[in-house]
Amino acid sequence: MKRSKVWDAVFLAPCIFALIMVVLIPFVQGVSFSLTDWNGVRSEIHYVGFDNYKDMFNSVEFLYSFRITLLYTLINVIMVNIVAFLLALLVTSRVRGKNLYRAAFFVPNLIGGIVLGYTWQFMFNDFFTAIGKSLGIGWMSSSMIANKNLVLLAMSIVNTWQYAGYIMLIFVAGIQSTSQEVMEAATVDGASYIQRVVKILIPMIASSFTISLFLTITNSFKAFDLNVALTNGGPSMRFMGSVVKSSQLLALTIYNKSITSKELAKGQAMSVVFFLMLVVFSLLQVYISKKREVEA
Amino acid sequence: MRKFIATLLALVLALGLVPTMAEDLNITLFHNKVEIAEPLQAFAKLYSDKTEGVTVNIETLGGGADYSGNLTAKLTAESMPDIFVIEGDGDYKLWQEYVTDLSDEKWNEETTLAYKDPEGKVVGFPVSIEGFGLGYNVELLKKADVDPATLTTFTALKEAFEKIDGMKGELGLDSVVSMGASVAGGTWWVAGHHNFSIYLGGGLDFEDTSIIDMFNKGEIDEERLNDYAKYVQLLFQFSDREVTTNGTYDDQLAAFVNKKAAFIHQGNWIDPSLAKMNVDFEYDYISHPFNDKQEHKGLYLFAPSFYVVNSKNTPEKIQAAKDFLEFLVFSEEGADYMVNGAGMVPAFANVTLQPSGGFSKALVHANAEGGNHGVFFGKLPPGTGQDILAPIFDLFAQDPSDENMNYFIEDIKGAAKTVSEKQ
Repeated sequence: MKRSKVWDAVFLAPCIFALIMVVLIPFVQGVSFSLTDWNGVRSEIHYVGFDNYKDMFNSVEFLYSFRITLLYTLINVIMVNIVAFLLALLVTSRVRGKNLYRAAFFVPNLIGGIVLGYTWQFMFNDFFTAIGKSLGIGWMSSSMIANKNLVLLAMSIVNTWQYAGYIMLIFVAGIQSTSQEVMEAATVDGASYIQRVVKILIPMIASSFTISLFLTITNSFKAFDLNVALTNGGPSMRFMGSVVKSSQLLALTIYNKSITSKELAKGQAMSVVFFLMLVVFSLLQVYISKKREVEA
Repeated sequence: MRKFIATLLALVLALGLVPTMAEDLNITLFHNKVEIAEPLQAFAKLYSDKTEGVTVNIETLGGGADYSGNLTAKLTAESMPDIFVIEGDGDYKLWQEYVTDLSDEKWNEETTLAYKDPEGKVVGFPVSIEGFGLGYNVELLKKADVDPATLTTFTALKEAFEKIDGMKGELGLDSVVSMGASVAGGTWWVAGHHNFSIYLGGGLDFEDTSIIDMFNKGEIDEERLNDYAKYVQLLFQFSDREVTTNGTYDDQLAAFVNKKAAFIHQGNWIDPSLAKMNVDFEYDYISHPFNDKQEHKGLYLFAPSFYVVNSKNTPEKIQAAKDFLEFLVFSEEGADYMVNGAGMVPAFANVTLQPSGGFSKALVHANAEGGNHGVFFGKLPPGTGQDILAPIFDLFAQDPSDENMNYFIEDIKGAAKTVSEKQ
């Protein structure tokens, strides 16, 4: 069988078909629904122009949700990457049983977000508080996810626990692909371990950082299942004079707007803005990181 | 190559044909009462075994979960159930294209609680009568020397709460009331739906919808709201903060069953759960005495949900669904399932079995007695309870101070305004 354009097309077809069906068409539909007043069920639809977008930027719920999504992403990106990098250093060092560690750190990533959410809800509400109470540690005897100031941090802790093992693998691959000679030469020249890591290893695996940052940013922005199961948006707090759910991230806000409150068009408008925001952040981040990468 | 493809296609076609041969008519009932999932499943199986050519499948969704959202998802996935649940006007408006006219069904003669569309056609089969009041532990109140019959005004209830609160150590209580208002724990509906219904219908005649009609127009009865806010404050002040703001449904029930709370804010639907948790004391209802303007004795009764038959379906399936509902009302098995299996209070006069659960018994008694109040949260637009009211209650429950009570009042007024803009 000779390679030809026809065969190229045949092999590409399933992928393109899927992409069109589950990405392209829904995207176009979504954008057009955001310009209507559709509730998601009715067959009657009216065109309302950009009203949904105007309402959205006046909605305290949306503004708050937008803000904490950014904050959550920031906390997450820092925590996940630092923890993952440290784990990667650990499992590539000469420590005993490193293969076991590699597997163990990766396992949480295999658990689904909903299961994880309910498990950690129990940990925060019952387990940690029980320890706190029996040892008489004040700050530990009340649940972190019942405190509006700590709930985002609690979510980040769970997310880090789950996701760091996955990012660790990317760093491990990066570290293993660097040449040992450079490191050995530096050792001979008398560079300390910290110096070697900061001055040599990190620049050499900059491409791993690009990938990891990209993955953690998009992953945190899109957080949904963990959010639903762990906090469902609670506890409530007051923001700009209105009552908002203190841990309701953007994806959950969109879901509640479109599905629970049956204002699908308004939810769609939020999704479009959400999409644009993700595109901008991702491109910006890749652009900046690429500039700093060392051609190894 | 061509032959191979031809064979493959033929095979696919053949496989596609196989399951359509000689198969039962499958009827799916999708409901939202996890408490009755098991008995309902058993009843459906019994009916399927008994009825040739029809299989009834039950799909269940938990109480805190978003039923309407899941139904939308099923619609989008083109797996709309044949019988589904609506909970009132809000849902009806949403799903009106999917409901079948049930006016000619025989069971209409046995009930007054069926759901009627604005033109008066019956479209919803009342699943049960449900209701709530303020549940109490008979023994604990006796020990505390509080006579529940006297707790008919706000002042009397407040005094009783204070008295019991003072005897907490002696009685082994954590708090006086077991209340739920948690967004995180999923008990928001206790406050956002049922407690708020006290504002909407408390102390009024059974069919008096004046307050809910005003609310949907963005108007508030100030005096009533002030009284109601004080009542909410009282409940929150005398409940365990952990359970109220962060507990789950199980936590709330456990506090009552384990005698850590003397009162519970829940409906008769918890009877089967209490039995399962081995409740070993007598329990009963008082009303919700939210003000001093009258003696509060009635309970809050409603048909909380209605089965509707999906109209965008084949005539055979619609008929099979109707037959299933008829069997539910007019067979001994149906009555046994409703009363003994599910612990429900049937909405049909021909069913004479008496429920065994304490709260359900109280409802049957109250229903016979009269003087009860309607429950109107179902008349709010979709998502109001969960997205607008729930966070307001959750916030107030975190710190039920006088200052926050004023905020609560303002927030409820704001909610009315938001709701009116949605209409």
